[in-house]
Amino acid sequence: MQYEIRQRPNFSIARITFDAPGEELVVEAAAMVAKDSAVTMKTSMRGGLLGAAKRKMLGGESLFQNTFTATRAGETIWVAPAAEGDMAAFDMDGQQPLYLSSGNYIASGPGITLDSQFQGLKGFFSGTSFFMLEAKGQGPLLIGSYGGIHPVQVGPAGYIVDNYHIVAFTGGLQYNVRRVGGLKSIFGGSEGLVCHFHGQGTVWISTRSAASLARFLHPYRPVESKS
Amino acid sequence: MHHQISHEPAFSMLRVDLDPGDIFVSEAGAMAAKSTHVQMDAKLTVRPNAGFVTTLGAMFAAFIRKALGGESFFVTHYTTNAPGTVWITPTMSGSIVHRRLEPGQRLTLSAGAYVASSGDIDVIVKYAGLRGILAKEGAFFLEILGNGGDIWFNSYGGVDAIDVNGTYIVDNGHIVGWEGALTFDIKSAGGGLIGMVASGEGMVCEFKGQGRVYIQSRNFGSLIDWLSPLLPG
Amino acid sequence: MRYQLLYQPVSTMAQFDLEQGEQLLVEPGAMVGMTPGLDMITGLAKQSGGGGIFGAITAAAGRLLAGESFFQNTFTATRGPEQLLLAHTLPGDMAMIDVQGAGLKLQSTAFVASTPGVQTTGEFGGARTFFGGEGLFLLSATANAPNQQILIGAFGGIQELQCNGSLVIDTGHLVAWDASLTFNVTKASSGWISSYLTGEGLVCSFQGQGRIWMQTRNPPEFGSKVGRLLPPRTN
Repeated sequence: MQYEIRQRPNFSIARITFDAPGEELVVEAAAMVAKDSAVTMKTSMRGGLLGAAKRKMLGGESLFQNTFTATRAGETIWVAPAAEGDMAAFDMDGQQPLYLSSGNYIASGPGITLDSQFQGLKGFFSGTSFFMLEAKGQGPLLIGSYGGIHPVQVGPAGYIVDNYHIVAFTGGLQYNVRRVGGLKSIFGGSEGLVCHFHGQGTVWISTRSAASLARFLHPYRPVESKS
Repeated sequence: MHHQISHEPAFSMLRVDLDPGDIFVSEAGAMAAKSTHVQMDAKLTVRPNAGFVTTLGAMFAAFIRKALGGESFFVTHYTTNAPGTVWITPTMSGSIVHRRLEPGQRLTLSAGAYVASSGDIDVIVKYAGLRGILAKEGAFFLEILGNGGDIWFNSYGGVDAIDVNGTYIVDNGHIVGWEGALTFDIKSAGGGLIGMVASGEGMVCEFKGQGRVYIQSRNFGSLIDWLSPLLPG
Repeated sequence: MRYQLLYQPVSTMAQFDLEQGEQLLVEPGAMVGMTPGLDMITGLAKQSGGGGIFGAITAAAGRLLAGESFFQNTFTATRGPEQLLLAHTLPGDMAMIDVQGAGLKLQSTAFVASTPGVQTTGEFGGARTFFGGEGLFLLSATANAPNQQILIGAFGGIQELQCNGSLVIDTGHLVAWDASLTFNVTKASSGWISSYLTGEGLVCSFQGQGRIWMQTRNPPEFGSKVGRLLPPRTN
């Protein structure tokens, strides 16, 4: 299959063209935008009930995923994330896993497996989540994020990323949670906690934080009537 | 009248340079900036000198639009006594598409897609019924009839045009509009009962015939679903 | 100081490459990433002409009222070259603008960062700014050294307009303007009813010569369109 990411970087949408009948694309629930009528869809819990439940509870993914199958060559399907932002495609080589923050998985070839990985207590303190989604295997993997996706090659000195801005990182990296600035920065500086990456690899960071958008919209929500 | 769309595709803005005698119409609340001397007037119809029946029809349409939370009740007419400029912006992030409609050409738009128009253009509200509701496009569509005029419409997200020859499926909530000899039906996305309930796709729209469908790369309903769990208390 | 604006115009992020000894004043929360050697100090916003601790607190309080943070972070490349990535909270563009002559006025949330010679303070804009939808306080920025710049962040694209005599801007679309301009809040159309029905209500009418930066989306309008469909809040 071939894919092309269009409308970058803010409204990225991926158009996948199947090469042969029988080719499959696994898509996160609700991410399909359009397709050829003949492409069939099957809904299932990948990795069985337990695997899917773990991914949903721990990795923030949907319980069900849809598998789309081509009936002939040249058929197309369009997939997009819900958030306004970019998408990135990886050709996974079966060697190094990729770790994703929850909610960033969009679609993959059938050779990719997803599993929730416990990040230890640092996950809790980093404000992201306890768990990251581990993607391994061979084939294409499409992810999406709110905001732009900016790759940073982590050098010998390491790199610091604000906890709300991590999209993905390669398996060769470790991180620990650090505080920047003094105590004062927690109350006034709001930088507070960051993730300090070290090792050899790439970290992809989002140029906007969904939490900021949620905070902006909060005052505009209707107020629950007390009855 | 000269026009220019800038800041595509996400934060598109329409700039219109007006000369005396020009009439330019936009949805209400869309003006971002203007020359001080450009005059704005609230009207019920896009036509400058609409007759009584047209106005009555427009009023009915406006009431329905308002009730459905779609477009605003009024449109704004811009005129000027000296060369001047108006800048127009939609509320949501996305593209503005310009389409010139020659006599006999028509375009169907989802109700929220109208941004602006000028020249000989009619905007008719058409009842789409359950089909429209299931398509998440509202129960009404806008039928744009041209007789030599310009229409600007917007999307949530980028716009892609899909040329359909046969059938094509578009997820509900992603339709901006269509033109040509096309009909559409509401279908289940497939996958049987589980697919219906758990695929997250639910209903889709199947277009049949020959023509062009404009899809938007984002979906307003998905934005709400995505944001809801992120909100503080 | 070298900088680059990446991912323009929607998810714009500013990448600063600082040489040893260079400094940047940054709005809290704007840091996205950085090299670990960069020092960050959280302090009260700098105050022009000394003014002591009292002056600093007054300026900081003004900033707070203007919708900015009480504190400002100062990032310094103490030991060698460092990198800093900054972003605004809302989707939109950013721009580096020169602080000229009488300085700049900023809508309350537009400030992202500045070179160290810029002082920002909250300023009472009078009732006109309240009715103009910008809140009662504006941010006033002045420079105490040559070549000072401010990094502004907007909701939407940024369009710089030159005001030659007069120009009308919708209140929700205003980001920043040269302090040499004067403005008053007026109705959008000739009549009150028509102004209301056009959906514009009140607009800012500028007079004079100077630069105006406008944003191509309107935050309150977007907020109410999306906000009313979100689940209700409890507080």
